[in-house]
Amino acid sequence: MAGERRMSILERLVGVGAQGFETTRLCAVGADITELTGAGLMLMSGDIARGSVCSSNAVSALVEELQFELGEGPCVDAYHHDRPVLEPDLATPSRVRWPAFTEPAVSAGVRAVFGFPVQVGAARLGALNLYRDTPGALTDDQHSDALVMADVAAEVVLLLQAGAPPGRLAAELEAGADFQYVVHQASGMIAMQLKVSVAEALIRLRAHAFGNDRSLTSVAEDIVNRVLRFRETDE
Amino acid sequence: MTRQTILAKTFVELADSLVTDFDVVDLLTVLADRCVDVLDVGAAGLMLLGPDGELRVMASSSEAMRVLELFELQSQEGPCLDCYRTGQPVVNQDLATVDGRWPRFAPEALRAGFQSVHALPMRLRGQVIGALNLFHIEPGEMRESDVESAQALADVATITILANRAAFESQLVNEQLTSALNSRVLIEQAKGMVAERLGLDMEGAFNTLRNHARNHNLKLLAVAQDVIDGALAPGSLAPEKRSDR
Repeated sequence: MAGERRMSILERLVGVGAQGFETTRLCAVGADITELTGAGLMLMSGDIARGSVCSSNAVSALVEELQFELGEGPCVDAYHHDRPVLEPDLATPSRVRWPAFTEPAVSAGVRAVFGFPVQVGAARLGALNLYRDTPGALTDDQHSDALVMADVAAEVVLLLQAGAPPGRLAAELEAGADFQYVVHQASGMIAMQLKVSVAEALIRLRAHAFGNDRSLTSVAEDIVNRVLRFRETDE
Repeated sequence: MTRQTILAKTFVELADSLVTDFDVVDLLTVLADRCVDVLDVGAAGLMLLGPDGELRVMASSSEAMRVLELFELQSQEGPCLDCYRTGQPVVNQDLATVDGRWPRFAPEALRAGFQSVHALPMRLRGQVIGALNLFHIEPGEMRESDVESAQALADVATITILANRAAFESQLVNEQLTSALNSRVLIEQAKGMVAERLGLDMEGAFNTLRNHARNHNLKLLAVAQDVIDGALAPGSLAPEKRSDR
């Protein structure tokens, strides 16, 4: 029954005393309730990936980061198509859906991956990402739990943001989140280094990462830490 | 039905109501009824803060006028009001000895046949939306485990109500979320530009931007936008390295 599933989730989220509502619990509970290896909650707004609200382990964090960087993956598809996206065998899929995402994800240990849209009514927030380190489809129970979890996650995110000061992100949403600020900071720095717009700077940043087979985040970090700088004469 | 089963059933019923067309009063009445069943209280009620800023009884386990009036009185004075104002539980108040704490409410409650009263806050993250009010016919203290159960019931109801309110305005809140994220991205980009131009770290860049905003009575976001648009040269800003401790 949906009610019992929801209550099970709520009980785990509420815990002892509802004082501190940690969004990190959303992902921990998501993985826990579905009995999968990890969960991540990707936030998308204005139709672009913003980053993750939480991730339950390092591999989930990587799955989120890859989708942010590459713009493809189960969460991206689930969000765009408004329906669950299920890949029970990422290493040997019946068809390759995510040419850039697949290899790094499989290398990190992701063998099955599932994306569930996170929305309330017409408000689409992003998607919940669940993965397993062994291949195999979700059971009906796991699928149902994931659907309810995605619903609860949507409500909680909205609940938290509704309590935020106007124009600001809710503090609870920031804690444990990764909205890729370092990428935006690096874009600002590159804009000054190359005397280009910030939008152009981001393109150059991505091109450098791709051309050097590095992650967007690691190049951004090098820029911010002044280990790397772009010069106007660079390609 | 055992106490545990009743509690579990309550939770399920409350949880099932997390749909956009649920009736708040129905939900709270279920909760109030369950409190009477599970916690051996004579009466229970939920008071929520209304749009006029006053506590109003939203649901009661009893329709008896004497009980409803007891709730009504509490918009002015009583355990619910105290609980709401402090966000803290008000428990085990023996009405015969409250010593003028509630000069209107206490005698009325005694007259209605109740000996002790409790109020548990309906609260999330410091936001108090109301209080769960319990009345005992017998004097004596409520068991610690019962106080905890009552608080748990209040907590689940609070989350249910707040999440439903947020969900009801879901599109609006989602737009606010998008807007907040967009603003944040602009600020981070501007920080990068300032950091590069003035040779600062990100904290220093942020302080530089914020000081400029304050000194010129501007919003931080507007300053960030100007920097990004080229209307405000980062080189013209006064560098600020560290936050003042």
